[in-house]
Amino acid sequence: MSEPTLEDLLRELAPQVLGALVRRYGHFDTAEDAVQEALLAATRQWPSQGRPDDPRAWLITVASRRLTDLLRSEQARQRREDKVSRWPLVPTEPVGDSDDTLVLLFMCCHPALSAASQIALTLRAVGGLTTAEISRAFLVPEATMTRRISRAKQSVKAAGARFSLPPDQAERLEAVLKVSYLIFNEGYASTTGPSLQRVELASEGIRLARMLHRLLPDDSEVAGLLALMLLTDARRPARTGPGGELIPMAEQDRGSWITAEIAEGVELITKALPQGPVGPYQLQAAIAAVHDEAPSAEETDWPQIKALYEVLLQLTDNPMVALNHVVAVAMACGPAEGLQLLGRIEGDERIVADHRLFAVRAHLLEMSGDRIAARAAYVEAATRTTSLQQQRYLNAKAATIAQTSSP
Amino acid sequence: MKYMILTYASQQDYDGMAGKDTGKPAWTGEDFAAMGAFMQKFNDDLAESGELVETRALAAPVLTRRLGSKDGAAVVTDGPYAETQEVLAGYWIVECDSFDRATEIAARLADTPAPEFVRATAYADIRPLAEGQEDLVG
Repeated sequence: MSEPTLEDLLRELAPQVLGALVRRYGHFDTAEDAVQEALLAATRQWPSQGRPDDPRAWLITVASRRLTDLLRSEQARQRREDKVSRWPLVPTEPVGDSDDTLVLLFMCCHPALSAASQIALTLRAVGGLTTAEISRAFLVPEATMTRRISRAKQSVKAAGARFSLPPDQAERLEAVLKVSYLIFNEGYASTTGPSLQRVELASEGIRLARMLHRLLPDDSEVAGLLALMLLTDARRPARTGPGGELIPMAEQDRGSWITAEIAEGVELITKALPQGPVGPYQLQAAIAAVHDEAPSAEETDWPQIKALYEVLLQLTDNPMVALNHVVAVAMACGPAEGLQLLGRIEGDERIVADHRLFAVRAHLLEMSGDRIAARAAYVEAATRTTSLQQQRYLNAKAATIAQTSSP
Repeated sequence: MKYMILTYASQQDYDGMAGKDTGKPAWTGEDFAAMGAFMQKFNDDLAESGELVETRALAAPVLTRRLGSKDGAAVVTDGPYAETQEVLAGYWIVECDSFDRATEIAARLADTPAPEFVRATAYADIRPLAEGQEDLVG
C-alpha cells in the first residue's frame, strides 16, 4: 500500500489528537487552537525533516506543549485580573489508543449550537479543514468564519460540555448525522461557487459518514446515511454536461455512474435494512439503490420506489418527500393519478412558491399530453428559481414543447 | 486599499442567459459554459494572487423587492425595473496595491466570452471602498 499523502494523514489524525488532548486536559477551545498549530508545524517540518515514526504521538506532544503555553499565558492574565486560579488540570490519564473522534463529533454537534456553527466546528475540529478552506467552501469571508468558529467554541465551553459520550446520545447522534449529510449536500447539490471545492465537501461528508460507520458499525441509520451518500455520489459524473448544465436522472449516461460506489452502497443498505429500526436515511438509501440498479430510466422499479416513499412519508413531514412521492405515483400509476395527488399537496405553504412544485407539475402535464399547460408550467418554474443553470434547463424544456407542438 | 468592481445587466440580459429568446437571441449552451469557465478562472486567479476579498453574483432583477416607506410605514414592492433597465448584476471586492491595479483587474472582464451584442455594450465600474467615517469626511 502506498503511503497516504501528508494532507490525508493529518486530516485522519487531527480529530484523534484533539480528542486525546481534550480527554487529558479539558479546555476544548484552547486545545483546538493548540492542535491547529501542531498541524501547521507538521506541514512545515515533515516535508523537509521526514515524517516521525509515530506521527500521532508527535502531534500530541507538540500540541500538548502548545496547550501548556496557551494555558499558562491565560493563567497569567487571570492572575493579573486578580482572580484566584490554579491551573485546573483534569486528572492525567495515559493517552491510550482509543479513538476519541466520536466523542469529539458529539461535542461539535452540541445542541447549544446553531446548525451553521455545528457544521463549521465539525469541519474544523473533526475534518481538519483550515478556517480559510471552510470559509471558501461556504462562500463567506474568512473573518466571518473565524468569528463563527470562536463563538461556537465559546458556546461549547459555556454549556459546560464534558469530554464523554453525552447522556442524550441518541438525540445527539441525529444531529451528527444531519451535519454530515448537510456537508455532503452542500458539496453535491450546489450549483454555484468554485466547483472543485464543492466536490471536496461532498467527499468530506462521505469521509465523516465512513468514520461514523467504523465507530458505530451496528447502527443501521449510520449505515443508511453512508449508503445514501455513496449511492447519490455515484451519479456525480453524469449529473452535469460539458458546460456544467444539469442533466436529469432520466437523461443521464448510466455508463458513467461509479459502479464501485453503487456496489458498496447497495451492500451496506442491504445489510442495514433487516437490522432495523428503519429510519429516513435507510429509506432514502433504498430509494437511491433502486434508481442506481435500474439498467435504464424506463426499467426503473417505480412501484417499489412509490412504496418506499410511502413508508418515508410516515416518518417525516417533509414537503419535498411528498413531491417526490407524487413523481413516483405518476411513474407507477400514470400522470392522472400523479396530478390528482399533486392537487392535494400544492397548498402546502412551505412549497407553494417553490420552482420544483411547478417543474413537477410541468413534467406530469407533459406526460399527460397537455402541451400548452405543460409549457406554461415550465416557464413559470423557470422564473421561480434563482439558478441560471436550472432556468436554462426549464426554458429549454418549454422551448422543445413549443417546437414539437407547432404544426 | 480595497476596491469594488461592479457589473451591470438588465432583465433582458438575464433572460438571454437563462436561454430565453427576448427579441435578442438567447445564449447557447456553449456561450453560457464559456462565460462560466471564464468567471471561474478569473475568480481563481484573484484568489490565487491573494487579491480577492469577496465576490457575488446577484439574481435576476425580476426577483428584486424594494423596501420604501409611505406615510411612515414600510412598504414592500416588487422590483421596479423595466426589462431593459440595467441594474447591478454582480460585484467583486479586491484588495490590491493601487487604483490602477484594480482597473487592470477589471479590464480583464472585457474578455468575458458572451454573444457579440452583449459584449458590445458591457461595462463595469471600479470604486474605492471607504474604510471608515474619516475616509468619507476626507
